[in-house]
Formats: sequence, C-alpha cells, structure tokens
Amino acid sequence: MNDERRDAEAPAGRASQAGQRDAAAATPAIELRDVVKAFGSRRALDGVDLRLPAGSFLTIFGPNGAGKTTLLRILATLSRPTHGEVRLFGVDALHDDPEPLRQRIGLISHRSMVYGDLTARENLMFIARLYGVPDARARVNELLELVELDHRANDQARTFSRGMTQRLSIARALVNDPDLMLLDEPYAGLDPHGMRLLDELLDRIRPGRTFVMVSHDLERGFASCTHALIIARGQVVLHGERARLDQGAFRETYLSVVGSLTSDVEV
Amino acid sequence: MGRRKRVQANVAGEAPARPRATAWQQYRALLAKDVRIELRTREMLVSMGVYAVLVLTVYGATLSQTGNSLDILNVASGLLWAMIVFTSLLGLNRSFANESADGCLEGVLLAPVSRPALFLAKATSNFLFMTAVEVVAVPLFFLFFLAGADVSSTAIWIVLPLLAGTIGMAGIGTFMATMTMDTRGKDVLLAILLIPVVFPLLYACVAATSTALLGVVGQEAVFWRSLALAVGYDVIVIAAAFGLYEFVVGS
Amino acid sequence: MTKTSSDAMGTRRRLPWETIAIVAVILGCALTTVDFLWAFLRAPMVAGARLEEPALIGGTVVTTKMLFSQKIFYFHVPVAIVSFAFVIVAAVYAVLFLARRSERYDVRCRLCMQVGLIFIIATMISGDLWTRHDWGVWWVWEPRLTTYFILTLLVIAYFILRAAIDDPERRARFSAVFAIIAAIDAPISFMITRLIPSSIHPVVLRSDSGLSPDMLIPFLCGIFGMALVGFGIYRLRLRIEEQAAEVEQLKREFEQTVA
Repeated sequence: MNDERRDAEAPAGRASQAGQRDAAAATPAIELRDVVKAFGSRRALDGVDLRLPAGSFLTIFGPNGAGKTTLLRILATLSRPTHGEVRLFGVDALHDDPEPLRQRIGLISHRSMVYGDLTARENLMFIARLYGVPDARARVNELLELVELDHRANDQARTFSRGMTQRLSIARALVNDPDLMLLDEPYAGLDPHGMRLLDELLDRIRPGRTFVMVSHDLERGFASCTHALIIARGQVVLHGERARLDQGAFRETYLSVVGSLTSDVEV
Repeated sequence: MGRRKRVQANVAGEAPARPRATAWQQYRALLAKDVRIELRTREMLVSMGVYAVLVLTVYGATLSQTGNSLDILNVASGLLWAMIVFTSLLGLNRSFANESADGCLEGVLLAPVSRPALFLAKATSNFLFMTAVEVVAVPLFFLFFLAGADVSSTAIWIVLPLLAGTIGMAGIGTFMATMTMDTRGKDVLLAILLIPVVFPLLYACVAATSTALLGVVGQEAVFWRSLALAVGYDVIVIAAAFGLYEFVVGS
Repeated sequence: MTKTSSDAMGTRRRLPWETIAIVAVILGCALTTVDFLWAFLRAPMVAGARLEEPALIGGTVVTTKMLFSQKIFYFHVPVAIVSFAFVIVAAVYAVLFLARRSERYDVRCRLCMQVGLIFIIATMISGDLWTRHDWGVWWVWEPRLTTYFILTLLVIAYFILRAAIDDPERRARFSAVFAIIAAIDAPISFMITRLIPSSIHPVVLRSDSGLSPDMLIPFLCGIFGMALVGFGIYRLRLRIEEQAAEVEQLKREFEQTVA
C-alpha cells in the first residue's frame, strides 16, 4: 500500500519506473552460461546453460553423480566453476565480491548445519549475528514461531528429533530473509508427517522468493515446481517450464536417465 | 516486513540495501559460539587436561630411574614443551569435531563471513583453551618434577615463551586442523603436518624457557634472541596462514 | 603412434622433451663424474669447519680444531642445493596452481617434490657420512642436518597429505598450500637452529665462500651436473605422467562411445 502511495506522489518518475520494472522484470534470478566444473579430465559439469526468472521454483532431477550437488554449490557461491558465467540477480558471482550475494542466499541440505550443543535460539542468534540482521532477537523469535519450535527454543539442538532438526535448519536458512532458497534433497529421511510439514512451510515462505530444489522424488518435485530440469553426466538433458512440458514425456526421459521412480509414490 | 517491496526489487533485479555485519562483529560471534560450546560441554578442556596429566604420569615413570645423575633442570624445558605440543595436538583435533559434524562449517561459509575473521576466531578460541590447560599443567609439572630442584628466581619469565609458543601453535595448528578436518586418519595426519612445521618454534621456545629456568642473568642475549625468533616465527607463519586460509576453506 | 594432445597435461609444444631429458641425465652424470674425479684426485681439501664455541660431541670436547672436511663436500653440497631448489620450484608451481587452478601445475608440483625427495635423501645420506667422518658419530643435531631432517619430514608429509584426500581438486589445493608452507618453513628452520646456540646443536660454521678455482670448477661441475640429472629425471617422470593421463583419457572416451 505504501508503494502505491509513493507511486502516486511521483508522477514524473512513475512512467519510467513502470517501464524500468517491465524491462527489468526480464532480469532473471539465475543465469548460467556454459558452466563447466572440471578438474583434469574429470567433468562434474559440462557446459550447463540455465535461465531462471525471479520468483520461480526449479526442481533439478538426475541420477547420482550427475552434478546436481555441484550445481547447487555453485549457486550457493560455495564453489567456483572452472569456466563459464554465473549471474545471480544480475550480479556476476565470480568476478564481483560474493559477499553481498551471500547475504541473499539460503541453503537447506540433508546435513542440518546446526550446532547440537547450542540451543535452538542460540543457533539462530549466532547465524543472525553472522549476517548482521538488525534486531536479531525479534527476528529469531519470529522464525521460531514460524517453524513451530518456540516451545523448544531453549533446548539444545541435540535433543531434537529429525523433523525438528529439519525445521530448525529451515529457520536457520531464513534468518537472512534470502531471495534465493536452495534445497538439497530436503525430503530425505523424513517421515510422511515431516514431509507434509515441510510442504506447508515451503508454501508459506514461497512468495517473493526463488527456489531451486534438488530432488529424487519425481512426484513431489514436479508438483511444486514451475520449472524442471534433468541433468546427467554433467549435462542438461531436459529443461523447461512445467506448464509447457509434456508430463508423460518428462516422466519417460526421467526414467530412462535416472532409472526408477521413488518406490512408494505413484505418479 | 515489506514483502511486496522486496518482490518488486527482485523483479527489478536490484539488491535491496541490506545491513551487513562487520568482520569484527562476525569475529566476536564466532568466538562467542566456540567459547559457549566449550564451556557447556567442556569437551576440549577436560580431554586436554586429562591428557596433560597422563603425559606427566608417563614422565614420572620414565624419569623414575634417573635419580641424582640427571640434573632435571636441564631437561625440564624440553619435557614441558613436549607435553604442550602433544596436548595441543589433541585439542586441535577436537576443535574441529563440532564443525565437521552436521556440516556446520559449511553453514558458516555460506554466510558472507570474512574468511580471515573465521580463521582468527578459531585460532583465538584454540589459543584460549590451550592457555587454560597450560595454567593448570605447567604448575603441576613444577610440582611433580621441579619441587626439589634449584629453580632460578627468573623462572617466572617462562610466561613469555609460553605465550609466544602457544600463539604460534594455535595459529598454524588451527590452519592445519582445518585442512585435516575431513580426511582419513585426521588425528595422525595433523601431527605429521604440524610437527615439522612447528619445529623451529619449538626449538626457540625451549631455548628461551630453558634459559629462564636456569637463570637468565648472564644469558639475557640468548633469552631475548630466542624469544624474538619465536615471535618472528609467529608473525611470518600466521601471516602466511592468514593469506592462504581462503584456499583451505574455499573451493 | 600419433600423440593425442591432452589439455590437462599441456602437451602442445612439440619439442623432443624425451630426448632432451635423456641427454640431460647423461650429461649430468658425466659432469658429476668429472666433479668426483677432480675432487678426489686433484682438488685440495676444503678449508674446513670451525666451531663457534667448545662443544661436546661424541664424548670428546672439540674446540676450534680445524676439521678437514671430506671430499664428500663436492657431492653433498651440490646435492643439497639442488634438492632445496626443487622444493622451491615445487612451491612456485603450488603458487601457480592456486592462482590459475589448472591441474598441470599440480602435477608439476608433485613431481618436483618427488625429485626433491630423492635428492634430499641423497643429501641426508651424504651428510651423515660426512658427519661420521668429521665427528666420529653417526648423527649430530647441527643446523644443517637438522634442517634437512625437517625438510625430509615436510616432503614426506606432503605425500602423506596427498594420500589422505580423495577428491582430486581438494587434494591439489591442500597440497599446494602445504608445499608453500613447507618452503617457508625450511629456511626459518635453518635460521633458527643456526642463531640459537646450544650444546647439543653445535653451530658449525663452514668457510665455503672463498673457493679457489681449483676447487670451484669441480664444485660447479657438481652443481650443474646434479641439476641436470634432477631436471632429466623430472622431465622423464613428467612424460610418464602425461602418457598415463593420455591412456586414461582414451579409456574414458572409449567407455563413453561404447555406453
């Protein structure tokens, strides 16, 4: 509402602002051009091209060793490619200072990245201080409520169940209010209840963020995504908007590349 | 929280202005985290302390037959530093157990944390824990082995080489421990890498400590020179570690 | 058989390195032999060693006795210089690797360390023999021997570190870092053991600087000869590595076409 008022108050700049927004709306969240990650003759990624608009949800499928995790790590700026261009929100991740970008990225992996000896609150406060989040205490309380851990905030993380640890990891990833959320097989090791909770949480934090998820679960991964990508042997095999993809053909390609669907779900 | 504004900013591809933590704030947060975990679990302190006592026990057995023929004051400095080196190795290995479990270090690297601040924070916490153990172990050593010896009045000067040596061990030790964190046989590997590198420091510190124990008077030149060399080692090697740290944690 | 050019190994230039390497080894051996023969038959003894202060070695008190260094000087010192040179070159490749991240620098760093290790062991053995002759004991903790012992440990540690890491990129990165630290540490070690007096570690000053031409020529022959031998061995090892890498590449390509 404030934004609309501001627009009305600056009629001169309004047209140009709208125009700028339209033109800039094309700036993708992720832009990868011919990304190669190789060492010697081993190629983890072999010429990956990707363009992902802001606000999308991309699911990456692929067999083990295909390069999914490598790709995710490059997006997280934890790893640098050997060749190629990586642009996140228009910023060159390789040549410009990566620190402002890191401020906007969150990662959830199957490793919790949580200190077992610290309480939930201490874990989140620590991360908040690393990111320089203003008014950290309020933010941490907000997050603990969001993931429904506020009643266990002062318990050590080592006493948490797998599901609770997962929720704490999600809270941890949200501390810096990231624009880009990266998820590395987040459903791994969760029971159906945990999976449902995760789905709910993801839906709740969805607006305004771009997601990239690596998944082995074809049904879940496909259901929530707006874009899908299959990668094998470091190369992109299939990639596109879900709305434009033929689900049957996608499934066939997936099967031939990956081998089998997750056993307990029917697509 | 201005979600709509952020969506528009996203679409425009601009980064909304975000507050950042300074390297100093991050250093404090990292150091506080290490100290808090250690105070709560006391894992490193207890294991290092117990190990120091065990080393002294072994000394007790090994020196039991020497009787009066060995002037213990001459070897005291060496024995003391041997104990410090082995105890420090143990502590350094443990200091990264937390970070490697559950991928916590990666979680820290994900944040815009200044890599030098990360190195310094870890090195500082290791230094604090090593010093804490030395505060107990060194007097214990004196009690067990130097009670009847003719220790010089300048013995208190050993604080200086102890400080220089511990700083160096903590610095280069933290650096090496970061490398050996996820490797096979990490404990032995740390020792293999660290001991040759730390040898010059050890040499200088033992010389200074020995001079202090035997009496600095008349040997000032040796004491100060050894101390200066130890400090010089610290400066050079820690500067190198500082510069190379990003290659050890980066990818 | 035509060689397939492999990017990782950088075999783009077509200089006949293999021939050069073999020539280098032969020439090096020839020079070293000249060095030996000259040293043993013609050159006077190196005006030997002088102690800074009285020291207790091997049960006897030794003071400023003029110790006559053995002819082994003509072998030991060149070998020592070359070995240290290889470690420095390895550190240079390590720096290049960290700057450019190309695997070829990692390979070269490793090979320099390998050749360096060979020469360091030769230094240690010859140094030990020298010590036996000079002092009558098999080991003395004097600055040079100590520093070389530490250097040996550092180079061995380098290889143990490499063996402990599976991921090739990480392995290359960490060993490069360690190589740099090792190259910094060795001179520091020498300086510190030299500058701090100690009864067990006598600081032996050797007046090697003013060598007469009669002694200088075999000495230089020795250095160049050793350097050539080292270079030749390095180059041959590099060729073997390149061929192995080519085989790997072909195997991989074959597997992919079959799959």
